[in-house]
Amino acid sequence: MALLEVNDLKTYFQTDDGIVKAVDGVSFSVEKGKTLGIVGESGSGKSVTCLTIMGLNDRKNTITSGEALFNGENLLTAGSRRLREIRGNDMAMIFQDPMTSLNPVHSIGTQLIEAVQLHRDVSKKGARARAVELLKAVGIPRAERRADDYPHQFSGGMRQRVMIAMALVNDPDLLIADEPTTALDVTTQAQIMLLLTNLQEEFGSAIIVITHDLGVVAESADDVLVMYAAEVAEQAPVEKLFRRPFHPYTWGLLGSLPRLDTDLERLVQIPGQPPSLLRPPNGCRFHPRCPYVMDKCKQIDPPLVPISDDPAHLQACHLDETTKDREAAKLLETTMAQAI
Amino acid sequence: MAEDLLVVDDVKKHFPVTRGIIFQKQVGAVKAVDGVSFSVKSGETLGIVGESGCGKSTLARCIMRLFDITDGTIVFDGRDITKLSRTNMRPIRREMMMIFQDPYASLNPRKRVGQIVGEALEVNKVGTASETKRRVQELLEVVGLNPEHYNRFPHEFSGGQRQRIGVARALAINPKLIVCDEPVSALDVSVQAQILNLLEDLQQDFGLTYIFIAHDLNVVRHISDRVLVMYLGKVVELAPKLELYEQPKHPYTGALLSAVPIADPERGRARQPIVLEGDVPSPLNPPSACNFHPRCPRFQAGHCDVVDPPLYPFGDGHIAACHYPLERWPLAADEFRKPAAGHPPAEPTPVS
Repeated sequence: MALLEVNDLKTYFQTDDGIVKAVDGVSFSVEKGKTLGIVGESGSGKSVTCLTIMGLNDRKNTITSGEALFNGENLLTAGSRRLREIRGNDMAMIFQDPMTSLNPVHSIGTQLIEAVQLHRDVSKKGARARAVELLKAVGIPRAERRADDYPHQFSGGMRQRVMIAMALVNDPDLLIADEPTTALDVTTQAQIMLLLTNLQEEFGSAIIVITHDLGVVAESADDVLVMYAAEVAEQAPVEKLFRRPFHPYTWGLLGSLPRLDTDLERLVQIPGQPPSLLRPPNGCRFHPRCPYVMDKCKQIDPPLVPISDDPAHLQACHLDETTKDREAAKLLETTMAQAI
Repeated sequence: MAEDLLVVDDVKKHFPVTRGIIFQKQVGAVKAVDGVSFSVKSGETLGIVGESGCGKSTLARCIMRLFDITDGTIVFDGRDITKLSRTNMRPIRREMMMIFQDPYASLNPRKRVGQIVGEALEVNKVGTASETKRRVQELLEVVGLNPEHYNRFPHEFSGGQRQRIGVARALAINPKLIVCDEPVSALDVSVQAQILNLLEDLQQDFGLTYIFIAHDLNVVRHISDRVLVMYLGKVVELAPKLELYEQPKHPYTGALLSAVPIADPERGRARQPIVLEGDVPSPLNPPSACNFHPRCPRFQAGHCDVVDPPLYPFGDGHIAACHYPLERWPLAADEFRKPAAGHPPAEPTPVS
């Protein structure tokens, strides 16, 4: 059984302008010790998917349906007390912006001790020992003394390490990292990604990485979910997605990426803007921006189905497979000239 | 060979740090830019990369004369603009424009698009009101926006469209040089590609010269002809694009390149990143001599922390400030740490 199994998850927000379908029928599963990457543009529903699983949406204006089974238990119907028990204990989240996710008026140590004591019956002294141990584990030098420092005394990369330490307090089975390196420089990003990989090897946790950086996904994920306008466009093991991408949106993403190792004449651009989720287009949501659009696409929303010779590779597009194989090969030839 | 449009010579910008309220006493200086020299040829794109806090943006603002520089000279189009007064500077401002990072913060929310784009025309008293309007609509079309949107407010546009407005504004009075400060870092990849393509097209059509500042090495490689790498206010390496990406000489450049994730599972996972320890030191109190030495995997005690490395030439306009330059690229991690014997050059021949 998978550690986390999400089936047909829908999250709708009620706003003054109408209902925003932020997540519209997303399904996936994550195994223990594996990493799932979720990619997509801003507003594609990546973060809301994870916030819904964690039960962190404002319940008043949110309509949720579907199920999110964590160790067999449906998180969407769990009470708030039970959710508080699970959050921070069995699953934890690392937020994007380390500058704003730490409380500026409490020392790092105090915040970590609070996280330990919420879930464990230990003395303050014991909790502090655990906090210092974690700060050491995430590579903060002089952890003993730095535990008394306040967030503003740490650099961006160090704060992100503190966030990771806090998420690891109770050895969670599932770690959700929402854009963990977006706010950081490349050298710091490399440090943090290395840290996450090492911790995963050590503790065997499952990780969900939300990111818009295809490089990060290619290097750290086992499976990838490509989201577009609140739906899953393509889902595949990481090598498959990069070697045989099967959705025009994925082609657009791969083609629009400037590369460090290849000279591209010109970047492929996806024309237009992502659609409003208040009034998404009929049929396939990508059709107004898709260069391969057919009449069918404007009327019927393509279901997410496996491709004929590979049941693990799912995609939602009406285009026939021969054309797709041809187009995918063409794209790989131009973008990865040096690799093949 | 095209002429140098901009020559920056030994430019320094130090921000004083003072103590006391009435009797202010300078107790130190943040050396944001500390002796930077380079030139930009007409029609080329110079990329500037570096981590946050390395002085990229301060340098851009010094070039634009938005800051008065502490020392050095800036020559634009054959004229020394270092000490020009505001009035004398005004005609030159028409020839250099800037595109800013944050398309949400760099457009006045209370002005209409037409006013924003047309402001430069108005300030410089170019044409009548109806001419201005026609020009603005033409510009909007050039950058791929609907000219009908002349009367809209910035909040009615998405991030990518706002950045197009920023580009239109920079183009309004036919500048020669455009300084782009992280123009695409706030945008999604697909929109980023639209803006990068637009900038390339405009360069071809109008013969523009760009200084392109970014922290994304992939983007800089795509758009630049030459690339300058900065660390703590200093130039550590400057080279033609391919030279820099395929034959980096400075260990910092090497570490930066090796840290970039590759969007290819096979090669990405085979990559051996050289992970730098620690953070960028404070420019208030930079390390002695080579200011990269506390983080440098090739650090040699008694040399790197005593003698400041000059910019050594490596041929073909490639210069790098390191006593122990990388022998080749890529280097395995252990080779990276151990500079081969025989380096540095016995008789250093620094670039004058």
